Amino acid sequence: MAESVRAELFARLREQETAVEPEQIALALAALGHAEPARTPHADVHTAFLANVLANKGTVELARDRGAAVQAIGRYLYQRFRTHKLVAGNDPRLAAMPWRDGGVLPRFGAAENGDSAALSYARLGVAETGAIVTYTGRANPGRNNLLPEDHLVLINREDVVATLEDAWARIRHDTAASGWPRGIQFIAGPSSTADVEAQLVMGAHGPRRWHVILVGDTPAEVLAQASEGVRAPS
Amino acid sequence: MDKPHPKRKRSRQRRDVALMVTCLADLMRPSVGFSAIRLLERAGCRVTVPEQQTCCGQPAYNSGEVDAAVPVARAVIEAFEPFDYVVVPSGSCAGMLSHHYPALFEGEWHQRALALSAKTWELTRFLTEVARLPAPRHKPLESAVTYHDSCAALRELGVHQQPRQLLQEQCGVQVSELSQNQVCCGFGGTFCARMPEISAKMADDKLDNAVASGATIVAAGDLGCLLHLSGRARRRGLKLEFRHVAELLAGDPRGPGIGEGRE
Amino acid sequence: MKLASNEFLQASSAALLEEDKAQRRSLIGQFLPLARDAAASAYGDFDALRAHMKRVRRHTMTHLSHYLEQFEEAAVQHGNQVHFVANAEQLNSKVLSICQAHNARRVAKGKSMVTEETGLNELLLKAGLDVLETDLGEYIIQQAGETPSHIVGPALHKSLAEIRQLFLDKHKLGDRELETVSEVVEEARGVLREQFLAADVGIIGANALIAEHGTSMLVTNEGNGDLCANLPPVLIVCTTFERVLPRAEDAMALQRLLVRSATGQPQTCYTSFYTGPRREDDVDGPLETHIILLDNRRSDILASDYSEMLDCIRCGACLNHCPIYIGVGGHAYGWVYPGPMGSVLTPLLTSLEQAHHLPNACTSCGRCAEVCPANIPLPDLLRDLRQDESVQQLKPARWRNGLRLHAWLLRHPGLYRSLTGWTISVLGLLGKRRGAFRRLPFAGGWTGQRDVPAPEGGGTFMRQYAARRRRGGKRG
Repeated sequence: MAESVRAELFARLREQETAVEPEQIALALAALGHAEPARTPHADVHTAFLANVLANKGTVELARDRGAAVQAIGRYLYQRFRTHKLVAGNDPRLAAMPWRDGGVLPRFGAAENGDSAALSYARLGVAETGAIVTYTGRANPGRNNLLPEDHLVLINREDVVATLEDAWARIRHDTAASGWPRGIQFIAGPSSTADVEAQLVMGAHGPRRWHVILVGDTPAEVLAQASEGVRAPS
Repeated sequence: MDKPHPKRKRSRQRRDVALMVTCLADLMRPSVGFSAIRLLERAGCRVTVPEQQTCCGQPAYNSGEVDAAVPVARAVIEAFEPFDYVVVPSGSCAGMLSHHYPALFEGEWHQRALALSAKTWELTRFLTEVARLPAPRHKPLESAVTYHDSCAALRELGVHQQPRQLLQEQCGVQVSELSQNQVCCGFGGTFCARMPEISAKMADDKLDNAVASGATIVAAGDLGCLLHLSGRARRRGLKLEFRHVAELLAGDPRGPGIGEGRE
Repeated sequence: MKLASNEFLQASSAALLEEDKAQRRSLIGQFLPLARDAAASAYGDFDALRAHMKRVRRHTMTHLSHYLEQFEEAAVQHGNQVHFVANAEQLNSKVLSICQAHNARRVAKGKSMVTEETGLNELLLKAGLDVLETDLGEYIIQQAGETPSHIVGPALHKSLAEIRQLFLDKHKLGDRELETVSEVVEEARGVLREQFLAADVGIIGANALIAEHGTSMLVTNEGNGDLCANLPPVLIVCTTFERVLPRAEDAMALQRLLVRSATGQPQTCYTSFYTGPRREDDVDGPLETHIILLDNRRSDILASDYSEMLDCIRCGACLNHCPIYIGVGGHAYGWVYPGPMGSVLTPLLTSLEQAHHLPNACTSCGRCAEVCPANIPLPDLLRDLRQDESVQQLKPARWRNGLRLHAWLLRHPGLYRSLTGWTISVLGLLGKRRGAFRRLPFAGGWTGQRDVPAPEGGGTFMRQYAARRRRGGKRG
């Protein structure tokens, strides 16, 4: 059945198309170029990224280095859950962090139902949308972004790109050697819904809170500027 | 929406304008036609009313009887093509001529339709962009006025600010805006009779907004909308006065508003 | 899904009387257009983005066999099983056979208009599968035994009180109160979390297919689609073949248009790209993935004068901006797709005969085309469908004959003028005192809801004008 349906469909399509060499199609496609990115609230990519994370109802923090990041995570977990427990993927970058200094007890692997907090080390941040990007795999199982109550994300300063097109250029570059991942997730906020009376509620199915920590030498003013003019969560 | 600006003739030279009266003004509200003539003459135009005109053919066209609309369009093109400008006191009919006629034809008639399209103007846009009115001779209007933008004027012809500007300049009136002023009033030609209940609901929304605007006069540039809205307002017993914008601009309108009696 | 579009007139009359629902619809009609406008202008040159997407889409459609083949090849290379199906029955039975092959019992479904179109749930439920819709809005209407009233917010027609009652009935809640929206969301979260964890099969739709990588793009705020795509051991993507776009960047352009047009957000919480079953490096994800590409008359549409309709990205902006949709709501349209896009799609995907009222539910106001991110000339397509309606003689004969007689008269100015001149003079006299008529012969369509304003008096313009010219007086 399926084979004949397929053949019939392709026959119908080709009947209407003028046959063109793939090279020519590729040239015509390249000539179309790409869309313009959205305007961002700030020219500086890091300020814009943080401002958009905030606009996406995320919370943000700056951490100078991995040590400071561990401290920040420890504080966050204690304040939110009075716990030191955390689940994180088998990302070598995460494995190498000084967890004991922050009193954090990570479990490395896939998140389970009931885990309160998961940590991801993002591959990319996108200033245009305030999204972070993860690839599924051992380093960040897909469910780690989805199952916990709170999703914490580390993102290196140098991994924040300006536009969605820049993000895809990086994704292509990253995966050229490792192969195309099963899933690429752009995440821009806690799981939300407005399906009941158009009222926005966080934690529809996945994380209720989304906390992004920008790792690297970022001046405090950047965060101050990013916070200005961002709509208060409604 | 943007049409190439026709070459401006030297101001002393009178522009040769053909008035397309529109079938609704012809039948239901002749003073719209006479007001339009007065305005155009005051703006320095020589106005002709071609005798062969009846209607632009929209009822058939919009209802899907396109083949019946084609000969009507041809007759309109023939009647109006000798003139420099075609001015229409209706966004909907002007939109029909300038946007939809060219799509009805191919070849020579398509070219003729395009030529007609290029010189067809909605009245208020013509009076702000081509032939300007001199300072008014009549008294400022004392009633509060709201303005209903017809969909064709707004979206096909880019007419929004022009009638407001003219009402300000000629009548000293600042339009009290309707909330939701981008939304259709529910006339829609034959739609209003094919789906009368939905159409009435849309009219009610519009009328409620008109009452809320505090205006006593509802002005518009299209008689279709005005007849529909005034008819519904009458049925509901609302005290609103309905006027075509040309009537207001041409001077203190003395006769009853649309759908009002002489009691 | 059962087609009831020919009951549009009755259904819309009934809908107009539902005050509570009408009020909620009216809020949608006020709020979402504002949100969309704000998001579009915050983006920058949104019209240029629309034009760009249109060019990409035209290019793709011109070489659709090329891109579809490229997609299929890449998808298969990544371990997907790709199935082409011609119609609703084939899609449904394909899904069922995959479920049965895995002895599946529980199914978690993401939001998919395509499976609404094919009525998939009905078949799976009949086969004894425990199927739950996991998008909150879809879950609510599934529990209520209803159909979506909006393609983006399927349960926006329901009040909190109705949903609360529904959950109290269905969930056997005991003493839980569910008085706030948050509590209702929390309640559904609990039920659906359990389904995600236990499901044997996940079913999702796709917002775009990317030819370059054999990937499907999934755009959601809730993350329910992502849970369906990551937790169950089998994943089935149900979509249609014309969703294909050449490059990831093209899907990004689409996403920029989609979210701003749909909800006024600059992006959704989740934008995900799924490419196949678990890899060597994966510790989670489905073990088997299927992509089902439905035709269901789309190849007919592609070959017809309505091919632009295939550019639709299902954002719902035309619904939110359509005063008729806002007036009567989605259910009146009698099928899956309501509003302007539905009034074009329903006749094309079913038959004009079964849905010929829908293209008439339009005043040609043009607001839908003004905001359509895919730049689809919806009012023109609706008018073309009305023309088809006329050609197929589906509209009432008295309408058709009346309009044609009128058009004929218009071409005979002499006759037209003597007929109208006489009638208008009489009506002018009759209506002079009151200014309007409550009733007139042959005008029932008009006078059911409104008075007929009387002609101004003095006869037609053309008569008066001719008389003035004869008198040699002033022209004006």
